Amino acid sequence: MTPTDPLHDAARLQEIADLGLLSSDVDPILQDVAARAAARFGLPVSLVSVVLDEALHIAGSHGIDGLWLAETGGHPVEWSFCATSVRTREAFIVENAPEHPEHRTNPLVTADGVRCYAGVPLISSRGFVLGNLCVVGLEERTFAEEEMIALRALAAEAVQRIEERRAT
Amino acid sequence: MSPAPSNPTRIPVYNYSVPTEADAVAALHRVWDAERGDRLWSEACRRAGLRPGHVKDVAQLERATKALSAEGGATATVARSIEIRLRTHARLAAKTAGPAVPPTKPGARA
Repeated sequence: MTPTDPLHDAARLQEIADLGLLSSDVDPILQDVAARAAARFGLPVSLVSVVLDEALHIAGSHGIDGLWLAETGGHPVEWSFCATSVRTREAFIVENAPEHPEHRTNPLVTADGVRCYAGVPLISSRGFVLGNLCVVGLEERTFAEEEMIALRALAAEAVQRIEERRAT
Repeated sequence: MSPAPSNPTRIPVYNYSVPTEADAVAALHRVWDAERGDRLWSEACRRAGLRPGHVKDVAQLERATKALSAEGGATATVARSIEIRLRTHARLAAKTAGPAVPPTKPGARA
């Protein structure tokens, strides 16, 4: 029997629904977390992403005003850098996307100019990977360990905020 | 053997085609199973006033997806995925089409 891809795990998707993450309401705290992540890295874009079965849904963001992504509220999951962390439960870093084996043909790279990415998983108290807190840039870049520690701390803030939705 | 016809909805730059009813049903099969997926889709179509297997265009797929979303829970996340994929196609198709060029009348002054 083939193991189920975590992206299609009904229990994980139920957790996303239970936490109210499909809401289109803007959460100012998640927006603030994304803004601080972008500022910490000096990068133009940061997302609090929720990885669904076939699409990435944006729950918080910074730097996407005026981009098509702001109008769609997400993109197909096959273009998602964040989906990797749902499968591995680990941080995912791409320092030079046009040379990355999985993402060099990704339209976000070839058509929209993404060049670097760093994301850490948002893991709920019940152990499900919901998505990522990530930063995205348009120039090749390396990511230092202390930067990833800072990103993990901000991700913990995002998870805390998300978990508060369960209680309300 | 002649080559397969290209999908007219495919956006070349993004290599992305408009989602179909078959895509939606396949997504439900992956999350649930074929029997439950088919049942959920049939119920959503019925609530939307559509016949399963005969959802022919984007407007109808949007209606069925909205009805599917009302199921709630994990099924609503599948519906949200379909919605995002439909929106993405519409937005990128408009983006890559570029501005419409008005026809020029012969002899018209610039």
